[in-house]
Amino acid sequence: MLGLQLAGIDVSFPGLAAPALAIDSLSVTAGSRVALTGASGSGKSTLISILTGLERAGQGRILWDGVDICALSEGARDRWRGANIGLVLQDFHLFPGLSALENVLLPARLSGAMTRDVGARAEHLLQRVGLARSTQMIETMSRGEMQRVAIARALLRKPGVVIADEPTASLDSDAGDAVGDLLLELSTESGCTLIVATHELALSRRMDRRIRLAAGRIVEDGVIEERAA
Amino acid sequence: MIGFILADLRRLWAGSLVFVLLVALATALGVAVTLQERALRLGSARAADKFDLVIGAPGSETQLVLSSIFLQPSPLPLMEGTVLARLLADPRVASAAPVGFGDSFGGYAVVGTSTGLVGELEQLAEGRVFATLGEAVAGAAVDLALGYAVKPTHGLAELGGHAHTELAYRIVGRLKPTGTAWDRAILVPMQAVWALHGMAAAEHDDADGHDDHPHDETASGAGGDHPHIDADAALDEDWSKATPGLPAILVKPKSIADAYKLRQDYRSNTTLAVFPGEVLTNLYATLGDAKRVLVGVTTGAQVLVAAAILLVTILHVGQRRRQIGALRAFGAPRTAVFVIVWSELFALIAAGVLSGFALGFGAAKFIAGYLSGESGVAMPVMFAAGDGFLVFAILAFAGCLAMLPAVLAYRQSPAAALRA
Repeated sequence: MLGLQLAGIDVSFPGLAAPALAIDSLSVTAGSRVALTGASGSGKSTLISILTGLERAGQGRILWDGVDICALSEGARDRWRGANIGLVLQDFHLFPGLSALENVLLPARLSGAMTRDVGARAEHLLQRVGLARSTQMIETMSRGEMQRVAIARALLRKPGVVIADEPTASLDSDAGDAVGDLLLELSTESGCTLIVATHELALSRRMDRRIRLAAGRIVEDGVIEERAA
Repeated sequence: MIGFILADLRRLWAGSLVFVLLVALATALGVAVTLQERALRLGSARAADKFDLVIGAPGSETQLVLSSIFLQPSPLPLMEGTVLARLLADPRVASAAPVGFGDSFGGYAVVGTSTGLVGELEQLAEGRVFATLGEAVAGAAVDLALGYAVKPTHGLAELGGHAHTELAYRIVGRLKPTGTAWDRAILVPMQAVWALHGMAAAEHDDADGHDDHPHDETASGAGGDHPHIDADAALDEDWSKATPGLPAILVKPKSIADAYKLRQDYRSNTTLAVFPGEVLTNLYATLGDAKRVLVGVTTGAQVLVAAAILLVTILHVGQRRRQIGALRAFGAPRTAVFVIVWSELFALIAAGVLSGFALGFGAAKFIAGYLSGESGVAMPVMFAAGDGFLVFAILAFAGCLAMLPAVLAYRQSPAAALRA
């Protein structure tokens, strides 16, 4: 379970006058569930990029439980991300030719984090997301099933935070609902922080807190009434 | 990681196959050229190995070797027959045998020689050495049964030669394979060749008249000019009496020093002495340029292929930047990405190079087999010790080549996974 402190973030791209992202300060308590909303181009993806260390913020500090990932080297950030962040992306990014189980285990294997326990946990997680046949080849699965495999992969190494970028956007509503349920349930079960970028109202309403971005700035930040009630 | 690489290659099997094929063909081209050239050189050198010193009439050294060692059909000037008697009496000579060419049968050269040379060449696989004028010994690759009657054709049948009707040789023995052009020869008594060409010793008073090939006057009609030849007449191998003209004499000197002295002594106005190995070396030196051109063209083709696969790979890495980014986004270290791209590419190239070597070897074997069948000269297609180094060098080059796309993948931002 990781808490987040952002300070003085400024991300600009060459040739653009306005910064892509400008956040003076933001903090997320460990274990909370946050929805990131905002129109396309509002800076959601950029925020996720720097939160996960995929991209370096030009300025500012990103502290995850006191660790400033901006200060880490490229390799150290990869290692930190692998150990601490579970990532779920809109396009799943599963690898064809491998089974569901192999896909779940691939990042752990590539980073040398493979143990017997990790293998057992992968099987368990696939059961938990409702996929009985862990040896099924990924390309034979429906999109909803694929995203469930991606969720199992994200949770494999017991990350302190799960970050999802539009996890339901490429799914039909039923599959999307199921994926939303799983993200909420599993993050609660494993006690990790959950940050979901989404513009689906139904999903964002089920979170504890909603942060709305526009033109790279936070324009709304509040506890969701319905949920809190 | 290996599982991922294999799954990836399996998924892209068609492209991978074409890729491997391309590398294999480029490699095979180079390998085949190298091996074939080596086989040709080794084969002809070995074929000449059995013949230490060749003495003929003054003329082209190359032609003398090509005709006497490789039995290439071509008229040679004649030298005086007394040279043979002189050589036989020379204490530096271990053995000397006359050879007479010009006749053929069904594509096989009919070569006149002595019983001594038959013994020098190789043991008999079956039968015995010729003992009368009408008997012959076949080379190992001559596809004629013992007892077969050979009616020699003057010159080559396909070049308009005419048949000698006066005499038919009966094959009485067969040599073991020698790996030389002589495997495709039919060896007959020298005396019979003389007799067939109207050069019997008794008539040979006017030596000058035989400077040209005596058979140029054939137009005057067959039969009439030629006396009857008694096929059953016993061989008289006392060369000191018989002195018609000879195109070449194969000499085995007693020692290397003797060989050099003999060569010196017999390089004169009336005779020419050559070491076949030396003549071949000169010939290769001349052909060396042609080999360099061939190797240059091959190398050019290989460089083109290398450039093409580099282009394809870089495009491919570009196409998969989201996937590569995703690998890292999910926590795979950069080095893992580098290793994956590098090893996939290297595995494909290595597979191509190795199968290219096999393919090139097969192709060279096939060509050598075909050429051997034509000429009788065995062509040993084989890898030399230096080829191991060549494989290593090619693979090292492939390793460097594969670095480039791998570095591109290594440097790619993992954020690419997020961008649509």
